[in-house]
Amino acid sequence: MRQRHRVQVPRLRLALLAGVAALLVSANAFSSGFQVMTHGARATGMGLAYAGVGGDPTAVFYNPAGIGWMKHFEGYVGVNFLTRTEGELTGAAPFPGAGVIESMENNWYFFPDGYAVLPLTQELNVGVGGFAQYGLGLKWDNPNTTFTGQFISQNAVIQSLDTNLNFSYLLFPQLSIAAGVDYRFSKVQLERNQAAINPFTGAVVPVAHVKLNSDLLSNGGWGWNAGIMIKPVESISIGAAYRSGINIDYEGEATFTQRPTGNAALDAIVAASLPTGNPPVETRIEFPSSINLGVGIELGNQWLLALEADWTEWSKFESLTIVFPTLVGRDIFRATLWEDSWAYRVGLEKGFGPWAVRVGYYYDNTPQPDFDVSPLLPDSDRNVYTAGFGYNTERWGFDVGALLLKFKERAILPPTPQTDNYFGTYKETGLVLTAGIRLAL
Amino acid sequence: MKKMLRSIGPAAAILALAAAPVSAQFDHYVALGDSLTAGVEGSCLVERNQEASFPAVLAAQLHIADFEQPLVQELALTSPLVGPPCLGAVFANNTITVGPISQMGAPLNSLLPRPYDNLGIPGANVDDLVHLTEGNPNGDTAQRFSALVLRNVPGSPFDGLNAVTEANLLNPDLITLWIGSNDILTSATTGVFLPGVTATPPDVFDANYAEVLENIAISGRTIVAGNVPDVTASPFTTTVPARLTIPGGSTPVLGPGNDAYPCVPVAPDHGCPVPDGTLVTLPASALLAQGIGVPVALGGTGNPLPDGQFIPPQTLVPGVLLYPDEIAGIEEYIAAYNQTIDEQIAGVGGVVVDINAIFDEITAHGYHIGGIALSTAFLRGGIFSADGVHPSSIGYTIVANAFIQTMNAELGLEIPPPDFNHVLFTPNVPQTGAGVRGGGEWGYSLSMWHDLLRRTGAARGYSLQMPESGLGRTRGGLRRVIRD
Repeated sequence: MRQRHRVQVPRLRLALLAGVAALLVSANAFSSGFQVMTHGARATGMGLAYAGVGGDPTAVFYNPAGIGWMKHFEGYVGVNFLTRTEGELTGAAPFPGAGVIESMENNWYFFPDGYAVLPLTQELNVGVGGFAQYGLGLKWDNPNTTFTGQFISQNAVIQSLDTNLNFSYLLFPQLSIAAGVDYRFSKVQLERNQAAINPFTGAVVPVAHVKLNSDLLSNGGWGWNAGIMIKPVESISIGAAYRSGINIDYEGEATFTQRPTGNAALDAIVAASLPTGNPPVETRIEFPSSINLGVGIELGNQWLLALEADWTEWSKFESLTIVFPTLVGRDIFRATLWEDSWAYRVGLEKGFGPWAVRVGYYYDNTPQPDFDVSPLLPDSDRNVYTAGFGYNTERWGFDVGALLLKFKERAILPPTPQTDNYFGTYKETGLVLTAGIRLAL
Repeated sequence: MKKMLRSIGPAAAILALAAAPVSAQFDHYVALGDSLTAGVEGSCLVERNQEASFPAVLAAQLHIADFEQPLVQELALTSPLVGPPCLGAVFANNTITVGPISQMGAPLNSLLPRPYDNLGIPGANVDDLVHLTEGNPNGDTAQRFSALVLRNVPGSPFDGLNAVTEANLLNPDLITLWIGSNDILTSATTGVFLPGVTATPPDVFDANYAEVLENIAISGRTIVAGNVPDVTASPFTTTVPARLTIPGGSTPVLGPGNDAYPCVPVAPDHGCPVPDGTLVTLPASALLAQGIGVPVALGGTGNPLPDGQFIPPQTLVPGVLLYPDEIAGIEEYIAAYNQTIDEQIAGVGGVVVDINAIFDEITAHGYHIGGIALSTAFLRGGIFSADGVHPSSIGYTIVANAFIQTMNAELGLEIPPPDFNHVLFTPNVPQTGAGVRGGGEWGYSLSMWHDLLRRTGAARGYSLQMPESGLGRTRGGLRRVIRD
C-alpha cells in the first residue's frame, strides 16, 4: 500500500483513531445514497430533524451553530446499531430470470460517535466531533455459489470516519454562526467473481475471486462546514448548515484468487492470465456537499416541533473509476450519474419534566437513477419512522432512539436501460437503534 | 405436452412455464430464413442446438406451444464419420483447439404431417425461398437442407413446394424473415468477392426480396425481418491477425496481391506484405503454422497465403485473404441489401430488426449481462460458436432478445424477454462423447473450413477446389476437387 496521501497526525491521535476504527464496522447506507445521518439519539427520535434544534453536543454534526448558546463543557458519547431486517431481490428476465430470489446478509453493524463542546468566551465556543457520515455494507448470501450477481458485486463496503472541529460565535444574543474543518478517513472494499467462457462447454464459469481493499487510516480528504442559527423569538429557532464535498483518492491493493473450474486446460489458461501478488489499485469518491434547513418550534407545555429539508449534492457522484496502474486492460469505469436529492423531515418531542418522548418521520428521495441500480448498491426512496425517549438534566442525560426504514420496492425491469443488465425488484427494510450519554461540567 | 417439449426443447419449455401467463399476441408463428434461423452452431444442425435457435426462443416467449422444427439426431463420433461433423472446442497437443465433437444423425420428426414452423434452410439465399422447390439429399447445401426442412422431395406430400408456400400453408399471423446473409457470406468465407458468383448483385437481391414479400405479405400478418449482419466482423475473419508479432513490433503476413494491390515479390519471398486493413480468415491458421504467409527472414516458407479466385466457367478456389477492396465491396453490398430490406419491409408495414447495428455494437463494446462480459472473440467470447461464423446458443438468445425488443418497441407488444440464466450457465455439450482432433494455432483445419463452406452453401453451382497444406507460390493449389 502506498502512502502518498497519508496524512501526518500526532502519534497519540493516530492511536486513538486506530482504536475507534477497530470498532467501526461497515455501516449501511440508511440515508439517501450511502449517507448516514443517525449521529445523535435525540435527533434520531425526532426524525433527524435537528438543524433547527441544537443545544446539545450532537449539534456539532447537525448544525454547529446550535452549540452557540451552550455555556458549559458538554460531552456526548453514542453508539449506533444498524441492521437490515429484510433485503431481497426478486429476479426478472432476461437476467437473472424470473423465480430467482437473492438475499442480502442481515448482519448487525455498529459504529460509535462522540462530541464535545467547550465555551472559550461568552460568545465563542469550540466543538469537536467524531462520526461516520458515509457508509455502506452490502454483502449477498451465497456469494460464491448460487448468487447470480456474483460477477457484479458480492460484497461492497465503504467506511468513513470524520473528525470535525468547529467554532461558533454569538454575533447577537439571537444569532449564532459557526464554521469548521472536517477530515474524513475512509476505506473502500469491493469483492466479486470474475467470469469467463469455458470454451469446452460454451458456458459461463467463475474463474477468479477479485478483492479490492484500501486501508481506512491511509486514505482521506479535507472538507469544511458552516452553520447559522437564529432565534427571532424565544420559542422559534431557525437553522441552516452546510457541509462541503470531500474528494478522496484511494490507494489500495488487489488480490486475485483463482477458482478452479475442474478443467485443467482452462485452469492453466486462467492461471497464466491472473495477476500475481497484490497489485496496486486506485479509485476516487467525490463525497457530496449538503445543506440542511431546519426550524424548531416550541409549542408550549414542553412540546417541540422540528421541521427540516435536506439537500445533498449527489450529482457529484458521476462515476466509479477503478484503476490498476500496473495492469493492462483491467481498469473499470462505471457511469453512475446520480442526481441531487432532497429529504423532508418532521419530529415531535413532548417533555415530562426531565423525561421526554419523541416521534418522527422523514421521506428520503434516492439519488440513484434506474440504470445504475445493481447488486453493488440498490438504493431506493424510503419512508422512515422514528421514536425515542430520553432523560436529561443540566448535568447529565441519556437518550435512546430507534429508526425503522421502509424502502420502496424498486422494480428495475426491461426495457429500462441497465448498466449491468441485471433486472428484478429490490425490497429492503432496516432498523437503527441508537443511544447516547451526555455529561455537562 | 411431450410433443411440445420435444419441439421447443426443455429449456424453452421451462421458460414458458415459469413466465407469467399472458394473452398470446400471435396464434401461429413461422420462421423463414437460412442457417441463422435454423440454429446452426459449430457447422452443424442438431437437436441440441436447434432447441436454442432464435425462433424457438421467440416462440417460447410468445407462448406458442406447438412450434415444430426439423429436429436432427446428434450422434457420437465414429471413424469414419457417418454424418457431417459438429465442431467444438477440444484439448489437443496441449492447447485448446477446435475439432469434431459429434456428428449429425437422422431426422427425428420427419413424419410431421404438416410443414415445420421453423423453415430456416442452411445455405439458402433470398432466391431460394421462392425458387428452391426440389430438395435433394445428394445435392448442394441448400438442396440437401431443403430436403430436410421442406421435405420437398419426390414421393413426399410436400414435393415441389418452396419455403414461402409451406409457410403460407400454416397460415401464420407472424412471420420472421431473416434472410440474405448467404447472398454475401461466401465472399467472406472464400475470400472471393465476385458479383454474380459469390455475391448477389443488389438489383437482383432487390428483385428476389420483393418476390419473397409478394408471397408472404398479406393483410393481418405481421412480418418481422432481420437485416444482414457484417459478415466480415465474425471471428472467422477477425481472429487471425494480419500481422506477425516480431521482436519490437509486427510485420504483415504475405499474400499474392490482387488487381487493386499488385504484388512484385522481393526474393527470397514469393509473396508481398498484405496492405493494412486486410483480413486473414481462420483457415489461415493451419497454413501459417506451416510457415505459409511467413517471410523467409522470419523462418517461414516465403510463400503467400492463398487469395481466393474464380476460374471460369465454374471453378471457385477459396482463399484466406480479404483485401481492403474486397472488404469495401462486401460492405457496400451489405449496405445495399439492408437498404432494400428497410424499404421493402416498410412497404408491407413490417418491422426490421437491425441485426447489423446490434452486432456492430457488440463487436465494438461487447455484450454485458449480469456482470458477465461477452464478446465476439473466437472460442472465449461466448457469442459465436466454434465454426467462427454462426452464433452460439448464447448468441442466438441475444438475437431472439433483439427481435423481442424491436417488436415490443415497434408494435406496442409486451413480449417478455428470454431468460439468459439457463443458456449462460448450462454446458452446451453433446451427450454423445467428445472428440480429440484439432491442429494449428487456432485449431481451424482446412477440413473444417471445407465443412463450413458446405454448410453455408459456398459452392452453389460451382466446383470447389480446396487449397491444401504445402501450397506453392501460385494462387490456390488445385490439388483437390470436391464437388459440393
